[in-house]
Order: sequence, then structure tokens, then C-alpha cells
Amino acid sequence: MSDVRGWIGERVPVSIDAVAAMSNEPVPHHLKRWWFALGGTPAYLFVVQIVTGVLLAFYYQPAPQTAYESVRYITEEAAFGWYLRGLHKWGATLMIAAVVLHQMRVFFTGAYRKPRELNWMIGMTLLVCTLMLGFTGYSLVFEQLSYWGATVGANISDTVPVVGPLMKQVLLGGDTYNDRTLSRFFILHGAVLPVLLILVLMMHIGLVRLLGVTELEFEGEDPKTAKPFNFFPEHFYTELIIGLTLMILLSALAVLVPVEMGPRADPQVTPEVIKPEWFFYVAFRWLKLFSGTTAMLTQGFIVFVMFGWPFIDAWLVRRFKYAEISVWIGVAGASAIMGLTMWEALVAH
Amino acid sequence: MTLDQKRWVIGGLGFLFLLSLVSVQWLEVSRRRHEAGDARAAVSTPAASRQCVDCHTQVSKGIVDHWTGSTHAEKGVACVDCHKAEAKDADVFSHYGQQIATVVTPRDCARCHPTEAAEFSASHHSKAGNILASLDNFLAETVEGSRVTFNPHSPTPGKAVQSVNGFAPANSGCQQCHGSLVAFQANDGGLVTVRDLKPDENGQPTNPEAVGRIVRNESGKPLFSSTSWPNTGIGRLNLDGSTGSCAACHSRHDFSSRRARQPENCGKCHLGPDHPQKEIYDESKHGVAFRDLIGEMNLDAKPWVVGQDYSAAPTCATCHMSANLRNGMKITHDPGERISWTNRPPVSLVMDTDANHAVVTETDPEKRRAAIADTAEAKRNRMKQVCATCHTPDHINLFYRQYDDVVINFNEKFAKPGQAIMSALAAAGLLTKTQYDEKIEWTWYYLWHHEGRRARMGASMMAPDYTQWHGMFEVAERFYMELIPEARELTAEAARSGRGEQARRVNQVIDEILNRPEHQWLVKGAEEQADAINREMQRKYGQTRQER
Repeated sequence: MSDVRGWIGERVPVSIDAVAAMSNEPVPHHLKRWWFALGGTPAYLFVVQIVTGVLLAFYYQPAPQTAYESVRYITEEAAFGWYLRGLHKWGATLMIAAVVLHQMRVFFTGAYRKPRELNWMIGMTLLVCTLMLGFTGYSLVFEQLSYWGATVGANISDTVPVVGPLMKQVLLGGDTYNDRTLSRFFILHGAVLPVLLILVLMMHIGLVRLLGVTELEFEGEDPKTAKPFNFFPEHFYTELIIGLTLMILLSALAVLVPVEMGPRADPQVTPEVIKPEWFFYVAFRWLKLFSGTTAMLTQGFIVFVMFGWPFIDAWLVRRFKYAEISVWIGVAGASAIMGLTMWEALVAH
Repeated sequence: MTLDQKRWVIGGLGFLFLLSLVSVQWLEVSRRRHEAGDARAAVSTPAASRQCVDCHTQVSKGIVDHWTGSTHAEKGVACVDCHKAEAKDADVFSHYGQQIATVVTPRDCARCHPTEAAEFSASHHSKAGNILASLDNFLAETVEGSRVTFNPHSPTPGKAVQSVNGFAPANSGCQQCHGSLVAFQANDGGLVTVRDLKPDENGQPTNPEAVGRIVRNESGKPLFSSTSWPNTGIGRLNLDGSTGSCAACHSRHDFSSRRARQPENCGKCHLGPDHPQKEIYDESKHGVAFRDLIGEMNLDAKPWVVGQDYSAAPTCATCHMSANLRNGMKITHDPGERISWTNRPPVSLVMDTDANHAVVTETDPEKRRAAIADTAEAKRNRMKQVCATCHTPDHINLFYRQYDDVVINFNEKFAKPGQAIMSALAAAGLLTKTQYDEKIEWTWYYLWHHEGRRARMGASMMAPDYTQWHGMFEVAERFYMELIPEARELTAEAARSGRGEQARRVNQVIDEILNRPEHQWLVKGAEEQADAINREMQRKYGQTRQER
């Protein structure tokens, strides 16, 4: 065994002990609480998405003439195709939910504050990447929802002043949905966005390691007994339990609520009711409340505020001398997002 | 949670995950089997039929495939079970060591399905082959074709036509629905049918001389006449004395209940100008709902009970044959059990039937009561049980009132008068005894057999366009613009040729009819209504009907 370690050590001059020590960094005591150990959930799901996505890409053919049929083939004929597509679809849903929940946890515990402002902004980039993956993903199926969702999405982009028309051109590869649009979505969904997400995720996790996890204290907890604990094996086991639970949940959803085929995209038939996936309900409802340009500008402003929130929060705390002000703003914001999502979900138009 | 506890939890979750993967694998394998028709894997061919399956897989794979996917195959019922024949049967022949017959009759099916066969035998369906004395048969065999074989009158390039089979329209038309008189070729140039074979109660021939006349090939297989076979007409007159064909609805070799439950199946015969039940159903809200919701019809369910296994829409089978929650889930293979009018004759009759399931035509109340074994009201109540799955009693009763009113209006205003005029013409000797040799006979036939049936059947199954435009509108036009003028023309011709008294008697009948209140619009005019219509046309469209 020592010969093998020696052989590897000569060729890869990295100390195994140093790697073990690095991976076994003490974990803050509050992570013994399950709810605070969910930061890895989106990462788990992302791995599931990569594996299932690669397998689905073996069969998928990104052209208007072939896309729907290839997805139908995956769903109805390919071995385990229905299961893989189910895992991928439900994995996407859970991943977006997990990213949002993780972000809310970070927000409400103030974990974005100095010196972690940049990591919050990186996290926001991850959220945007995840949502873009969702959008480009359901556009690939070439169902009515795919086609009209992409068309509506592109038209919305068009309303952005100055850069809007260019964004639409980049997204569709032309003035309207055409034969080249699907391959564009496919490359974005299967290559550009995942690679970007991996790079940004590495930065995110790197900064978490460099800055350490925000340590939280709880009322009634004795700081002397609430000591950090080892990553391995205790926290590793916790993460394993979460990972297995997620896989069982995904597997059950894929089997019990299988993904089906919607009607094939038909540019000649505009559906009476068209709605995006649930994670865009809030943006969709916002668009219905305001005119196109106003809606886009206000949404852009809200996203900008979310990106810069650590700095805005710092200014607010200095100005009003009240550290909890962000909590109340967060409650208002989260309530608005959930309210608009529910509103869109409950009404037909 | 301690480390040990976490290990246990991980072990448990790992096992559950593994279990979920096993269930996915099981689902995938089941799906694959189903798609590949690998229900076949569960099919075990009985030893007696194994050779048939092996050989026919090579020579006619389709029928083996049909059988393989059938319930029969699942239950171990195979080729020989249905095709087997006794040595004394007229149509028996030896086929690779098995004694079999080609035609499978209701008598064969009754070996396993006695109740269904008995219900079917009592039905009008099973008697559909007895049309030899009907107008339809005369039309096909005499008017459209010829009862005598005749010579071609000029050559057909590329085809050596020696003689013309005048029964062709009947063979390929009428008999494919009604059923043929199954016949073997006879060595005297004629045919051998059930009438020659005179089968006993077991279906075996009692006339050896007729059996001896059957032409057989070198291997002993009897040869059918193309005038009668192939045929799956529902009232086929079989060689063993049974009538009908179960394959008419269930199809050969896959014996599909699913198919029999779908309207297209009935539409093989119940469509066209004289009995367009399939088109009527398609037009109705029932048919529209079926097309829309076919995915929710649960057509493979066993049993298939409306209100329990499906509620999306009724099909022909639902209303006329299948089980429902209110009738003790009883299926019937006699569709007449729930029909309360017969709209087949010129004048519709109430479906009081006798012990032989024939319509009682007796008019004397006492004798009529005595003759009736099953009343029309009882039949209607059976149908109402089906309707009640989705409709309230008020809705059902008022619908039946609407239906009755259409039938009675047709009977009283057009059918009985038409019959009276045709009878008067015949009684006065102004018509020949031969049918269809005079224009008015075609007119009258169109009126009741085509248009009158469409109107009545349209009302029976809620198809307004068939009731009105394809029905009563055409009935009225035919009656006023063709039947009456043609009858008047015949009487005028009779008067001119010295048969004034006969003409007077017929005209008296016509006048008496036209003087009835419902025909007064024609005699006295309806100018006020015409004015009202024109005013409305002018207001709506700026023109009147008279304008060209």
C-alpha cells in the first residue's frame, strides 16, 4: 500500500494528509440542525441533472422536425427513457426550489454580510443560471408550451430598451422562431449554461471554504458546548442521508407522476391559455400587471437590487441603525413572490 | 443523532433507494413486454393447436398474431378448440391430423359461451339472413343484378368473362351484413346448403345424399361457393343449422371485446342512406363526447360497466348491450332488449314482442295482450336504466316524449297516408304486381325506407340534422312534390284510358288525406305565413325568397 502511495506521491506531489486535513475542516455546530445543512442540496441535484442530461442528449435531436419525435421516443420507447426524463424534469423542479430555499436561508440569517458580499452575488448568478437552464430546458421538448414559451420569452426580451432587439436575435437566431432556434437552446442548455454554472459554483464553494461558513448562535445554547465538529464522518453522513432521501424522492416522483407528452408545437395554433413553468409564474404575473417595457425595466431593477443587496443592506443598517431591517424587507419580498406565484397558478388567464 | 444512528439511517435509505431502482426496472420490463406483445410470454399454446400455430406463423402470421394478443390465448383457448369438427359434420375435413371445419358458427362458440349464444340467437341480429322475401333482396338480386346467370354482351379486354353472376350485388353487398346462405359447390353444378343438409339438433346433417354431392379437393376439403363465402354477416345461415356469426362484431382470431364496444364496429353495417345509425351517433353529443374522450373510455375494462368503469360517453354497445349499474350489471347479446320502437317498416311499430321475439302486430286488445311476452315499455325501461347513469328521470322522460312525437308525426302525416295511397293504387289495378317497375314505387321506397327512417332514427339518437334536413324535410318534399303528383298522374292516365271509376276511388283516398288539417297548408295555402317570412327575410337580408 505504501508503495502505491509512494508511486502516486512521486507523480502527483500533493500530500494526502494535507488533502484529508483540508476536507476535514471543522464544521460549525449549528450545522447539526438539518435545515442548515441543505446548502449542498442544489449541488446534489445538479449532479443528477448532468448525469440524466447526458443520457437524454444521446437521443435528443435539436431540430423542429425531429425534436418532438425524439422526446417522444425517449418517453415512450427508449429503455428507461421515461424514468430518465422523469428524473431530469423533477430534478430541475427540485433544484430550482432548493436554490431558492438556500438563498432565502442565507438572506434571513444575514449570511451575505461582510465579508461574504461577493459570494452572495455569485450565488445570485447561480440562481439566474439555474432559471435560464429551466427556461431553455422546457423549450427543447418542442411542445406547444415549449414553442410559445420561447416565443413569448423572446418577445419579452425585445421590450428591453436599447439591447432588447439584440437579445431577441441572440436567443432565437433570427427575428422569429426558426429552424436554428432549437439548436441554440440546446447548446445553451447542454453546454454553455452548465459549464458556466460549474465554474461559478466552484467559485461559490471556494469562497465558502476560504471565508468559512457563517457561524450562527441560537438562544439558550451554551457557546462552550456548541463546539465545531469534524466534517468526516459526521457531517458527511448527514449529507449522505440528505442525498439518499433526495434520490428516493426523485425516483418516487418520476415513477408516480411520470412526465407526459403535451401537444406538439404548432406555430399556426396559438393556445388559448399559455403559461410558463411554475418558477416563472411570478415574472409572468408581473408582466400582466404592467406594460411590456415597464415590466421589464422594473424586473431588471429588482434583480439588480437583489444582486447588490449586501451593500444596500449595509447602507440601510447604517442609515436606520436597525440590523433587522433586511428581515422585514425580505418577508415583504418573499410574500410578494409567493403571492404573485399563487395568483398566476390559480387563475386561468 | 449519534454516528451509529446515522449509519442505520443511511443503510435504511440505501435499501429504499435500491428498492426504488428495482421497481423502476420491473416497470421497464413490464412496459417492454407489453409493447413487444410479450403478453405472448404468458401464452401457452395447447398441445393440440401447437402444430397449427407453428405452421400458420409461417404461412399466415397475421392470424396467429391476432390470436396471440387475444383473451382466448391468455385462457389457453386455441385453434382446434374453435375449429374442431365431428366426423359426421358436413363441413369436416382432415387437416394435418386434426378434424376441423373452416366456418366457426355460434353453435361452436356456445360450447364455452352458452348464455351469450342463446341471447344472440334470440336477437333480430341472428335473423338478419332471412331476407330472401324482402324488398331489399329483390332489389339486389333482380333489379340491381339478375337471378339468372347471363352471358356478357361484349368482350372485356384483358379478362376472359364467360358469364355474369347476377347475384354479385347481393353477395358482396346485402349478404356481407345480413349474412349469406353458406353453400358448398355441388358435383351436379348446383349448391349444397343447410336446406339440403337438414341438420339435426346437434347440427349434423340428416341427408347423406346432400353430403355426398359436396365437391371436395384432393385432400378431402369441401369447396365453398364464392356466392356465400367468405362472409361474416351477422345473420349468416350456417351449415349446422345455426344462424349468425359472432365474428361479425368480435372479429376473427382476436375476438376483441374492445373493438365490439366501439361505434366503428357497428358502422360496418349501420350506416348509409337507409339506416345511418353510425352517422347519427357521430352527429349526436354522445358521439362527439366519445371522439373527444376516447382515452377515458377504459375500453379494455372487464367488466365494462357504464358509471363504474367509464362515464365519458356511451357507445352503441353501452346503450344497446353493455352492463350498467342499475340493471344488476347484466350484459345482453340481444340489442333488441332495450329498443321500444321498430323503425324498420314503413309505419313504425311499438316493440311489443312475442315469445319468439317477433313484433306483435295483433290489433285486438285482448289477443294482443295475450300474445305479448315482452312489452315495449319494459324494453324502454331497460334503456332508461342506461340513460339514468348520466341523466335525470325528467330529462329521460321528456327526451322519449320528443322521440315518440317525431315517430308518431311521421306515421300519421306521411307513412300511413302513403301506405293508403299505394294500397288504393294497387287495389284499383293502377299498379302492376311487380315491384320497382313504376316510378311511384321508387318514390314511396325512398320516402319510408330512406328518408323516413333517417328522420325517426335521427330522433331516436339525438341527431337533429338527420331528423330534420336528411329526414322530415326530404320526407315532406317526396310526399308533396313526388308521391301525390305521381299518384294523380296515374289516376289521370287511368281516366283517359277508360278506367274512370278506378281513378275516382284513388282520388277519393288522396282527397280525403289532403283534406285533413295537417295538409291544409297545401290545399288552402298559407299566405299569411309566407308574408311573415318575407317580411322577416326583407328585414334581415334585404331580399325575399321569391326574388331571383
